[in-house]
Amino acid sequence: MVKFRRASGVLGALMLSILSPVALAQEPAADGLAQEEFRSIDQDVQSLKDEVLALNRDLFLLEEELLFPANSQVAFFLSLDVGEYFVLDSVNLKIDGKEVANYLYTDREADALVRGGVQRLHLENLKVGEHELIAVFTGKGPHDREYRRGATVNLEKGLGAKYVEIAITDRVSKQQPEFDIREWE
Amino acid sequence: MSLRRTFPLLLAFLLFAEATLADKALPPTVIQDPYYGEVLFDFYQEDYFPAIVKLLAARKASRLPNHDAEAELLLGGLYLSYGQHLRAAAIFERLLADSVDPSVRDRTWFFLARIWHQRGYIDEARLALDNIQDELPGSMDAERRLLLAQILIARGEYAAAIELLDGWRDRTEWASYAKFNLGVAMVRDGQVAKAANILDELGQLEPFTEELSALRDKANLALGYAYLQAGEPREAKKPLRRVRLNGPFSNKALLGVGWADAEREEFGRALVPWMELHGRSLLDPAVQESMLAVPFAMAKLESISQAADHYLNAIEAFHEEDDRISSTITALESGRLLNSFLADNAGDTTGWHWSIGELPDGAETRYLYHLLASDEFQEGLKNYRDLDYLARNLERWQNSVGVFRNMLDTRQRAYATRLPVIEDSLERANLEQMVDRKLSFDARLEIIEKNHDALALATDQEFALWGEISMLESTPALSADIPEALDARRRVKLMKGVLQWQLEKDFKERMWRVRRDVRQSGEALVDAQRSRRRVNESMRNEPLTFAGFDQRIGSLEPQITELRVRVGDAMDRQRVFLQSIAVNELQAQKQRLQTYTVQARFALAAIYDLSATGGDIAP
Repeated sequence: MVKFRRASGVLGALMLSILSPVALAQEPAADGLAQEEFRSIDQDVQSLKDEVLALNRDLFLLEEELLFPANSQVAFFLSLDVGEYFVLDSVNLKIDGKEVANYLYTDREADALVRGGVQRLHLENLKVGEHELIAVFTGKGPHDREYRRGATVNLEKGLGAKYVEIAITDRVSKQQPEFDIREWE
Repeated sequence: MSLRRTFPLLLAFLLFAEATLADKALPPTVIQDPYYGEVLFDFYQEDYFPAIVKLLAARKASRLPNHDAEAELLLGGLYLSYGQHLRAAAIFERLLADSVDPSVRDRTWFFLARIWHQRGYIDEARLALDNIQDELPGSMDAERRLLLAQILIARGEYAAAIELLDGWRDRTEWASYAKFNLGVAMVRDGQVAKAANILDELGQLEPFTEELSALRDKANLALGYAYLQAGEPREAKKPLRRVRLNGPFSNKALLGVGWADAEREEFGRALVPWMELHGRSLLDPAVQESMLAVPFAMAKLESISQAADHYLNAIEAFHEEDDRISSTITALESGRLLNSFLADNAGDTTGWHWSIGELPDGAETRYLYHLLASDEFQEGLKNYRDLDYLARNLERWQNSVGVFRNMLDTRQRAYATRLPVIEDSLERANLEQMVDRKLSFDARLEIIEKNHDALALATDQEFALWGEISMLESTPALSADIPEALDARRRVKLMKGVLQWQLEKDFKERMWRVRRDVRQSGEALVDAQRSRRRVNESMRNEPLTFAGFDQRIGSLEPQITELRVRVGDAMDRQRVFLQSIAVNELQAQKQRLQTYTVQARFALAAIYDLSATGGDIAP
């Protein structure tokens, strides 16, 4: 495989290319037709992307409403407000004793969570009533030690859609991560 | 949603390269809607397409009540990152007009200008730069001025470019680039002598980075060839010899040094750099030219037979190279090259920041090395890649929509099967009658309580006992006036007294229990009524819901089909465009080889002629 090297960085990009003094003196846009063709295709691509994005939006909502109707839908979100005491490796989620999610995080995902992203870990249909949620986290705790901890909560599912936030935060006083499960209607 | 640490979004995308820096330097923002955080989760992973889809969906479903204004800005940023520069610009033009921090606004315009320039939208890039009002921070301002100079040169406004670049007075590497571009603008403006001074100065700078070394080589090369063209070979040698021996410009410089010597009839000296080129890659035009230059010098030095051998070798080498280029053109036209880019640089990340990481193996890439690095090709390839992503995305949805339809059909059938059963059980459950019974219970309890009717709450056993006692009381034998009857009467009275005392004692508790049971029955009845209303409502709505889904699937399905066709067409168009610029490049290489071949043949013929007649050889 040939390692590819572009004129590196911004500086390279700002150099006006010359291979000979003739090129140095050349008028710009020698190939105006190609440029015009590029622009025309580019504009078509932009508008196609736009239409596909709008279509994806509608299909995304249709799929969600079809598979997870609002009256039974429960969305489980995972957020992370840590940095010092915990590095997340995996999350395991059980609802009423049944495993519904077992997620291993890549560095990129873990980083996105640390930077403020919130992951929709799982979407589930639950009947009205009480349900048990167990979340187990593994990762690296203080001093690079393996860390494993679980949290359990009984959820009350009402009539409308609901979301549950599983928040992992650093607890400065105890120098360890803290897990918190909160429910939102 | 809880307080979440994240940095201001606008800066997050504006400073994509410097994002980690911004992350540390800027105060946190609160994420209040989880769906907003979900978009950020994709955005921070540079998965722009799903991030935009989720943001559009969350807005349509009104899931971002607390992030309305930010969501619009974020969308602009996502469009920008995804390469939807026209969409992004429309959002920024609307949002950045007045309400945003001026420094943020200026940076936004700057990044838009950069994208537009890269995509060849020169006029738009110029307008974006004009919108910047204050000095940009750090090196960004130098970059802005250089970008503007480039745009001015591209538009033929050389005087304005010269004015902008001439006053650059710092000692940064930016200043060196400015100087180089100043030289370019001057040459194009006809101020060749002044340009030569600038290039000469630049050609002697002490480079402290690889990029600056390359820039220094470039300046020396340009100056050397300018002198050569002006018929000043002695002057030409100085800058050409300053070019590094092993760099991107070394072949051309070696060729030039040779020509400078040859111009001064010093063919022996000329052979030194030209022979050095001889061992280098034949892909380089300078090396190809040296294959003609070497025998030319040899002939001048009267090594005629050696010269003839070199010409023959050159013709053979050019022929082989020409064949290889022809097969490359065939491979290119088959679409294999572009497909190998999709395969080798797969990964689903898309967007403006993407660039080729590694070139696929194969002869094509060797010939197209420089072309593949050009903005024109790279930007076209980005589009091609994005279109491929769209095509795969639409294919997935087309399959999913089929599944949706099946799912809906199954659900409709299940509903139709269950409906009569439900209707039957609803009919059998006479809730109204149950309510009436509950009300009559309430009334009876009221009377019992009011009359303190303890016997009414007696258990079956107590009630039977009470009956037996009453019966005994009325037994005629017990009325007899004999001591046994008197004793029996006393015992019966005692039993009745004990039972009555028991009933009185438990009355309150029994009353409470009965009331509780009746109340619970009432609550269950209310729940049952509520459930029934829901069932009724659902029976009314379900057909409408089914019809709604059916209609949505029905309208989206043809859109997918139509877009798939259009995306396919656009891919074809983009492929043809990319292939045509690649083929044009290869044709130019073939043309050059053919010209060299003609020259070699002509020179060879001249040598044979000379052998026959005796005389001088033309190059």
